[in-house]
Amino acid sequence: MSNLYERLGGENAVNAAVELFYRKVLADGRIAQFFDGVDMDQQIAKQKSFLTMAFGGPNNYTGADMRNAHKRLVAKGLNDSHVDAVIENLNYTLRDLGVPEKEVKEVAAIANSVRDDVLNR
Amino acid sequence: MLKFEDRSVELRPGETVLEALERAGIDAPSSCRSGNCQTCLHRAVEGVPPPDSQVGLTQGQKALGFFLPCVCLPTSPLTITRPDNVGARRDAVIRAIEPLAPDVIRLRVDADDFAYRPGQFLELVADGDLRRHYSLASHPEDDPFLEMHIRLHENGRMSRRLGEFKPGDRLHVAGPSGTCFYEGVHEEQRLLLIGAGTGLAPLYGVLRDALKRGHLGPIRLYHGARSRDGLYLDEELKALSRTRAHVDYRPCLLDPNAPAGGDVAATALHAEQDVKDSAIFLCGGENLVKRLKRDFFMRGASMKNIRSDAFTPSG
Repeated sequence: MSNLYERLGGENAVNAAVELFYRKVLADGRIAQFFDGVDMDQQIAKQKSFLTMAFGGPNNYTGADMRNAHKRLVAKGLNDSHVDAVIENLNYTLRDLGVPEKEVKEVAAIANSVRDDVLNR
Repeated sequence: MLKFEDRSVELRPGETVLEALERAGIDAPSSCRSGNCQTCLHRAVEGVPPPDSQVGLTQGQKALGFFLPCVCLPTSPLTITRPDNVGARRDAVIRAIEPLAPDVIRLRVDADDFAYRPGQFLELVADGDLRRHYSLASHPEDDPFLEMHIRLHENGRMSRRLGEFKPGDRLHVAGPSGTCFYEGVHEEQRLLLIGAGTGLAPLYGVLRDALKRGHLGPIRLYHGARSRDGLYLDEELKALSRTRAHVDYRPCLLDPNAPAGGDVAATALHAEQDVKDSAIFLCGGENLVKRLKRDFFMRGASMKNIRSDAFTPSG
């Protein structure tokens, strides 16, 4: 059995998902405020690297990277409900692209695995 | 084999440029280290980075030699620099300085060997620490000078200094910078250029470059201004759109009584509902650029098709 990243379609799958996902996040009133004033060109690259990680693809993120990247947002009130919303949008994105439920759950589990680092706990 | 600016950097077999920079003690930020997050972005000023190290970058960035050191295994000699390094200052001489509108001047300077793409910007250095960024409206193949459109601010230091300058005076330029130029556009793609105030300068450069390269698709240019005087290339652009059937110039005078706000952003957002396949260029104040970028993205435009340059006023 090939790994998750290969089953999803690798880099092409990330490219297909990234703008769809980012639009959903920006349109979601629960979390959109965290993206106010953010440079969209830089943000799309960061979304891409988040999706690559969640899809089980190559990445070298450390817990410290995740903590530092979100410290400012935690200070602004980022909490579990916002992480839930992000994962929900990720699930919708994958379903829109026709990804089977088994893989949707695997991606959600990887995204969920960095929750404590993201929330700096 | 590998140089960081003037300094030789040892590159071991199988080592990435990022690893070599770190081993040499050069401060190089990084995060994902797998070619996605673009935190480690650098630029090659000599040599060609391998295509694998440019995946995910815009066509404009690729054309300028930008690459990702964390996934770069060079196959030929490279000299690299930080992405924001504008290079050495060069001598420039003022060729012409004249008003385009009551608060806008056109500055033309001569500078040797200043390679650029129309729509990029340079750093203009008047004396010592007095420097500002201005976009280039000229075309390197047609114009022997660099042309800038500059808004004058009543109490701005540079504005006052520019008021004293006359042809023959010397100053300095550095750069160019910026990726808001005609690259990665299909010749039949719809081109949407939207700007306000002197945001017209880079768009005018892009428009001329597109026409020079034989762009075939429809081109629509919106220029917003607070008063009629501010539509400072009105006659020229009207004449151009009369002779080129695929060029549509839309001057937008600020109308405070219009229902949707009446500025160029509101006008363009109302008229441009289908932007999925357009190549979009946005130039002007930060609010205008951010609003249009977000709204066009949400309407289905891909980020790689949106090029922008946000101006920050500094007098």
